[in-house]
Amino acid sequence: MCGIAGRILNASGKVGADLVSLMEAQRHRGADSTGFALYGRPLDSGYIVRAMSPNREALSVDLSTFEDILRQHGSDFVSDPTWDDSTTAHVSVRMIIKDPKDFAAWSHEADSISERIEIQSVGRSLEIVKDVGGAEEVAEKHGVRDFIGTHGLGHARLATESSVSPTASHPFWARPFPDIAIVHNGQITDYYTWREVLEQRGYRFMTYNDSELIAVWISDQMSKGLTQAQALEKSISEIDGVFTYLISNTETMGFAKDRWAIKPLVAIEEHGEMAVATEEQAVRMIYTGEHDIINYDGPSMTKTWRIDSLREAA
Amino acid sequence: MSEAIVTVGDRPIREVNKEIKAALAEGNTVTVRDTRSRHNLGVGLPEGSHLKFEGSVGYYCGGLNNGAHIEVERNVGWSVGEAMASGEILVNGYAGMSAGAAMLGGLLHIRGDAGPRCGVAMKGGDILVEGKIGYLSGFMAHAGRIIALGGAAGACADSLWGGEVWVAGPIESLGVDSKVVEPEPEEIASVEELLAGRGLADGSRDWQKIVSAQRLWHFESRDASAWLMI
Repeated sequence: MCGIAGRILNASGKVGADLVSLMEAQRHRGADSTGFALYGRPLDSGYIVRAMSPNREALSVDLSTFEDILRQHGSDFVSDPTWDDSTTAHVSVRMIIKDPKDFAAWSHEADSISERIEIQSVGRSLEIVKDVGGAEEVAEKHGVRDFIGTHGLGHARLATESSVSPTASHPFWARPFPDIAIVHNGQITDYYTWREVLEQRGYRFMTYNDSELIAVWISDQMSKGLTQAQALEKSISEIDGVFTYLISNTETMGFAKDRWAIKPLVAIEEHGEMAVATEEQAVRMIYTGEHDIINYDGPSMTKTWRIDSLREAA
Repeated sequence: MSEAIVTVGDRPIREVNKEIKAALAEGNTVTVRDTRSRHNLGVGLPEGSHLKFEGSVGYYCGGLNNGAHIEVERNVGWSVGEAMASGEILVNGYAGMSAGAAMLGGLLHIRGDAGPRCGVAMKGGDILVEGKIGYLSGFMAHAGRIIALGGAAGACADSLWGGEVWVAGPIESLGVDSKVVEPEPEEIASVEELLAGRGLADGSRDWQKIVSAQRLWHFESRDASAWLMI
């Protein structure tokens, strides 16, 4: 059991605070770890990189190796990296980098030091913030409530299939595609079969979390030219298990649900804005009072919300 | 009988349920306000209780009901009336997944649609849905009746072990090991009597009664492929 959520605003606003409320209302669904995929105002050029290092002591050495790799790919830090000032051994780092010459090549090489600095998201807009602990704890540590943006995803994890660690938390970035993130509620039963296939195709996995598989699987489909919406549709017949997952990029947010209709999803869409979550009581933290509730309860469902058109509709 | 009001808000559910039980024990009719779609409200209530929830409630509302009359103004989440033994639950809106799961007796009346697996593992009583019943409704039910006035989604009555699913309106598809049979006039009369008692009399309904085909009663592993749905 896990809890997922998504939020779309019709203009830039306190999307971080809303997502914390959505996840705080679902803390009973899993407080092993909590994470957020936040979309702020997109950069015209360059990328925001969110990463995690397991060893705070070695951070400056590891960052200089990371910087060396950037320079080899025609990129560099735009400003000095920043990180959380907690006392935990692991440390979350935020960097802004110039466009590498070949994004995929840089991303591939940067992942070669993932044991020292693991990239958790790269995007013009996307920032993934995740850690062990409940929504309140993670929000407090990483200042999630102060995040201003247009949309985002949230996840509360109850680990069922793999270990609990800051890096095995959701959301997952669909590396190496900038700005694409997923959150997932469920279990993928053909995980090892798919993992082997995708590894043979050259994809790297950072964890043994079955939700990371969905992110990588989506990357593979998109590299073959499928749109996000097409990939959502295809995942229902190709991936086995019980799942409801949300996916987002800078322009759209969508979901797919398995053939068995096991994991619920509830939304309130009003005035060009939207809140979606595993449980109705979560969306009602955003929309108090009585509202029309949409229950996406059926089997084999997908939907895509357009961020831009929602803004236009408002 | 006097009326008592209980407010849910963000209070601990255990505290709210204790207050509900105390008010009912004093012979009050209880109205529950500011429900915020929260879970586990009004569980295990006894005979003679009268309870109304304003707005919508979350999961397991009216579970383990032991004779209470419960009404929900709008929607319910998962498993309303789970394992209810007796009594009556009226839902005026939509019922989420697994409505009436493992129900033993009593009546669950849903005025809107019901989600997937309505009446899953049901063992007795009646579920009346004025709208459509969701995917896999009646899954592995053993006894009791599910009555749907607005049709049924796919895999209707899948792996039905016993009991009956009555559908007026279109059935998207039947699940494995279930079959449509011609109902006896006295069976139709019994269903129509239940409906008339709920103000839903209509002699013109075209009923499809679904029962177990009973092949799974004698399951052989060599036949397993016959039960794979996809």
